[in-house]
Amino acid sequence: MPKLIIDDIAVEVADGSTVLEAAQSVDIPIPHFCWHPALGKAGACRVCAVKMLEGPVKGIQMSCMLPAQEGMVVSTTDPEAVAMRRNVIEWLMINHPHDCPVCDEGGECQLQDFTIAGGHGIRRYTGKKRTHVNQYIGPDIEHEMNRCIQCYRCVRFYQEYAGGCDFGVMGSAGRVYYGRFQDGRLESPFSGNLVDICPTGVFTDKRARFRARYWDYDMAPSICPHCSLGCNITPVARYRELLKIVARRNDPVNGWFICDRGRFANDEVNERQRPRSPEVDGRETTYDEALEALLLRVGEAEELYGPGSMAIVGSSRLALEAAALLPQLAQSSAAGALCYFTLQAEGDRTLAAYELLSAGKSASLNDVRESDCIVILDCDPLQDAPMMALALRQAWRSGAGVYLVGGGIELPCEFTRVATLDAVPLAEAKRSVIIYGTKGYNGVTTVASWLTGIAPNFTKGGLPGNLKLACLFPGPNSFAAALLSREHGAVSLEEALADGGIKGIIAVEADIPEQLLEGVRFVAVLDWRKTATVQAAQIVIPTTAWVEMDGTYINNEGRSQRFKKVMNPGVPVKGEGPPLHPPHIHRSVAPGGEARPAWQVVAGIIEGLGGERITEPLSGQWEYLRELDAESRGVMINDL
Amino acid sequence: MRILSDIAAIMTGMWITWKHMFRRPVTVQYPEEKRQPYPRYRARIVLTRDPDGGERCVACQLCSAACPVDCITMQSAEGDNGRRFAEWFRINFSRCIFCGLCAEACPTLAIQMTPDFEICKRDVMDLIYEKEELLIDGCGKSPDYNFYRHAGIGVTQPRGTGVEEMPPVDVRGLMP
Amino acid sequence: MIYDPIDIALILTKIALVFFVILTLAAYLVFAERKVLAWIQDRKGPNRVGPFGLLQPLADLIKLLTKEDFRPIGADKWLFYLAPAMAAVPAIMIFAVIPFGAPLVLFGHTVQLQVSDLNVGLLLFMALSSIAVYGVALGGWASNSKYALLGSIRGLAQLISYELSMGLSLVPVVMLARSFRLSDIVDAQSGCWFIVYQPLAFMIFLISIAAECKRIPFDLPEAEGELVAGFHTEYSGMRFGLFFVGEYINIVVLGGLAATFFLGGWHGPFLPPVVWFAGKVLAFAFLFIWMRGTLPRLRYDQLMHFGWKILTPLALLNILATGWWLVLRG
Repeated sequence: MPKLIIDDIAVEVADGSTVLEAAQSVDIPIPHFCWHPALGKAGACRVCAVKMLEGPVKGIQMSCMLPAQEGMVVSTTDPEAVAMRRNVIEWLMINHPHDCPVCDEGGECQLQDFTIAGGHGIRRYTGKKRTHVNQYIGPDIEHEMNRCIQCYRCVRFYQEYAGGCDFGVMGSAGRVYYGRFQDGRLESPFSGNLVDICPTGVFTDKRARFRARYWDYDMAPSICPHCSLGCNITPVARYRELLKIVARRNDPVNGWFICDRGRFANDEVNERQRPRSPEVDGRETTYDEALEALLLRVGEAEELYGPGSMAIVGSSRLALEAAALLPQLAQSSAAGALCYFTLQAEGDRTLAAYELLSAGKSASLNDVRESDCIVILDCDPLQDAPMMALALRQAWRSGAGVYLVGGGIELPCEFTRVATLDAVPLAEAKRSVIIYGTKGYNGVTTVASWLTGIAPNFTKGGLPGNLKLACLFPGPNSFAAALLSREHGAVSLEEALADGGIKGIIAVEADIPEQLLEGVRFVAVLDWRKTATVQAAQIVIPTTAWVEMDGTYINNEGRSQRFKKVMNPGVPVKGEGPPLHPPHIHRSVAPGGEARPAWQVVAGIIEGLGGERITEPLSGQWEYLRELDAESRGVMINDL
Repeated sequence: MRILSDIAAIMTGMWITWKHMFRRPVTVQYPEEKRQPYPRYRARIVLTRDPDGGERCVACQLCSAACPVDCITMQSAEGDNGRRFAEWFRINFSRCIFCGLCAEACPTLAIQMTPDFEICKRDVMDLIYEKEELLIDGCGKSPDYNFYRHAGIGVTQPRGTGVEEMPPVDVRGLMP
Repeated sequence: MIYDPIDIALILTKIALVFFVILTLAAYLVFAERKVLAWIQDRKGPNRVGPFGLLQPLADLIKLLTKEDFRPIGADKWLFYLAPAMAAVPAIMIFAVIPFGAPLVLFGHTVQLQVSDLNVGLLLFMALSSIAVYGVALGGWASNSKYALLGSIRGLAQLISYELSMGLSLVPVVMLARSFRLSDIVDAQSGCWFIVYQPLAFMIFLISIAAECKRIPFDLPEAEGELVAGFHTEYSGMRFGLFFVGEYINIVVLGGLAATFFLGGWHGPFLPPVVWFAGKVLAFAFLFIWMRGTLPRLRYDQLMHFGWKILTPLALLNILATGWWLVLRG
């Protein structure tokens, strides 16, 4: 634990920290381009210069390259260091084009910030600027090499951190070029992180190209809904249009990065044709009328078919707020079934996987990154949860053994194929993780029976060594769906429909296969996606997408995370109104802005059915989540 | 004595106001008489074109960021050859305070202020000017400047042929 | 006492004439004030309504009459409605005792150009000018507004203070004329105006009447810089108009009194007496406007200090000196 003094402030940091990290720990900013907390040092940009006044080394040093040592006295404000940084910035700007107004990075550009902060304003160099030819690197990322300042961050991330091999660095000296050998889409499923990691505008998000500026963004901390890992993101919206997704740091979960699916696969939110206004029998109506019609049909169903003829269906993508209200809805509508899963197999597997986790220790992504032995069983991380693959690559980079039981998949690292779990040298490992999935039935049962074999009483909490389990669920809130299913004895819709007693369904953000809807007389859907179920429904009440409301997801390890409202619901301004400009109309509610969060609609139905008025969806056992901070690391649910 | 100097002071004041009674008034009888404002007078805002006839505005949002009353809104879009332009551009003149910060912020010299101060409408909605009302066919006060010639990216000319640019690097060349 | 019908008709005619002239004059004084102030400030002043803006007072009248008659919540209804009249009526009543011309002989009758030649005319003036204070006091009190109340409190203190020095400055005039009757005072100046004997009393009277009609530099009851509009903050429409016109009637009346007491009333060579009188009144009105265009407002403590510690003792000394002088002269 070396102690040093930076700008008259005494700092004590962990062994192996750099002077730059030591300064950051006491909020002293030192400009840097090539250094990144997740990538470490490169010493390429020379802009983090500080002056060492006392200690083992003296004079101007690169703070990112220098390990913090006992007795160092560092000055970041020494005139010599300031002059050095200013000169370095001026050198970096020699070849940088004068195109900030037409650059999407403008306003959120590290190079802009540090140029201004470094005091460089007027160009003194009169020579010509070097230029490059850009490449087509796919439909999601724009390449503009003229802006490059040669910090090597992109190639370090792409090749070392993410294991990609189709992107690299070429040339020498002032002609260094970062790109592919030839035009073509970047192959890595993590390529979108180049946009975040580039300190200037070489890589920008093509989907948000020329759409808005940083100071105009609607932003809020949010959670990715694409898989069960619950990566932290910051969606960016403007004029009711979701422009892009930016990774948000959360060390126990995703760290600094997210995968391309989470970043680029969000067109559904901006879809003009998604449910925007309530519909009864295909006719657009108001929210109140739709609610009235729904209540009427629920009453009719009870009259015609007797009580217990309705089924309430939730899903693994439904936020906790609404999911937690469904049992109440089932009660007040005298429903015959409460379902969180549509298919029996899916429900059973998820419940079994949840059982394993609730009994043992679940592994966070950080646990995976820090483990020294990883077993992958019956799942495909690159497909089901790409960030899990990135995490296990980091473990592999630090020397962990990766074992794949069975085969048939690819991983972004080297691995050993083994036939069974017993073949894995788990006994020698200090921190091991078993990753399994719910897609096939084998994974869960194999792990369960194997665990029973080695630790007969593991359900009471005893797992050998530091063994942790990570499960890849199908949806962002599968864990909560399984938990609520278990608690309220919910069955899958398939089972509920088996005896033919169910004649009506209220589906809350649930995807129900067409064949299950045969024989069901009445379907009401609350959803924001234009699913097949929505098309088959008689009553559609639009709900808000996850970026349009506050909510909670419980990820695959049982970590509750809050996502905040990013933008108001409504049809995007883009494409609205007369040609050339948006309409000249004053409106209090945007077109299509009547959508409400699912839990509010559910609460409205409960109230309409004679239940109590619900103003706070998280109550009872969930009350401790009310004040959950979206910027925190999340809270493990009480059972764990 | 102080009282005498006080009385003298009052009398001086009365004398000055007396003299002013016979001066020519400075009033300009506005609708009948009009003063010619100076060329740099800050009134109605226009969007100018570059010497080659293209729209100067690249919708970089700096004017709307600088605007203290938030009267400028726009949407940028990508045109031919990657040119950035304003898909729509709106100035709400019922809010504008003619402070000139937008014109000062404009990096492409597109947004400029004219001496036309007579902006009156019966309907306040008519004071919302859209791009087609703002855009003029001329360069305004800086007739020679074309941002894209200096920007360093290839939009109006092939890459590497702009002002103070070297030809593009041959990445596969082996020469030092 | 038996009155000749012609006498009664003459008196009614005089009253009507005085009303008409005073109100028109007050209205045009407003116009004149705006014009003169504009000239002082190198502007043109009102010039849009009618030729040279001469119909401006009419336009103002129409505007005031058609404005909403607003009463604040919590205002004392009757006092609120009464106060403007209390301000305007006593001012115009004072004019009843002012002789505005030499007696005329019409149809065999000698007509005094004076509504009523009271033998205690000067005392009536003092009494009525005291009643005018109520307009300010009640208007401010009844408005239920802090600004109006503060303005009326200041007005009360100011008017009462300066009434004292005003009254005292008139004592030497009475001593010289040996009468309270205003026509006697005018007659006593047929030879030499009292301003020659009593320059000090004239100055004190002039300053006091400026304070009495709440004109700059003594406009503390209104003080728009600090009290919005002082005691008439909450008034609108014609009720505000009454306060406003009352102020200008006051200027005319007090100007007439100053002329009567010190400048020989209607006396003057060459020109007809009525013209002389009108000229003197207008000269005072112009002086007030001129002062307003020049001087800043006094501070409240300066105002009270000046009234009580300077004007009042000076007026008392002046009485003593006049007495001595009369005794010595025999």
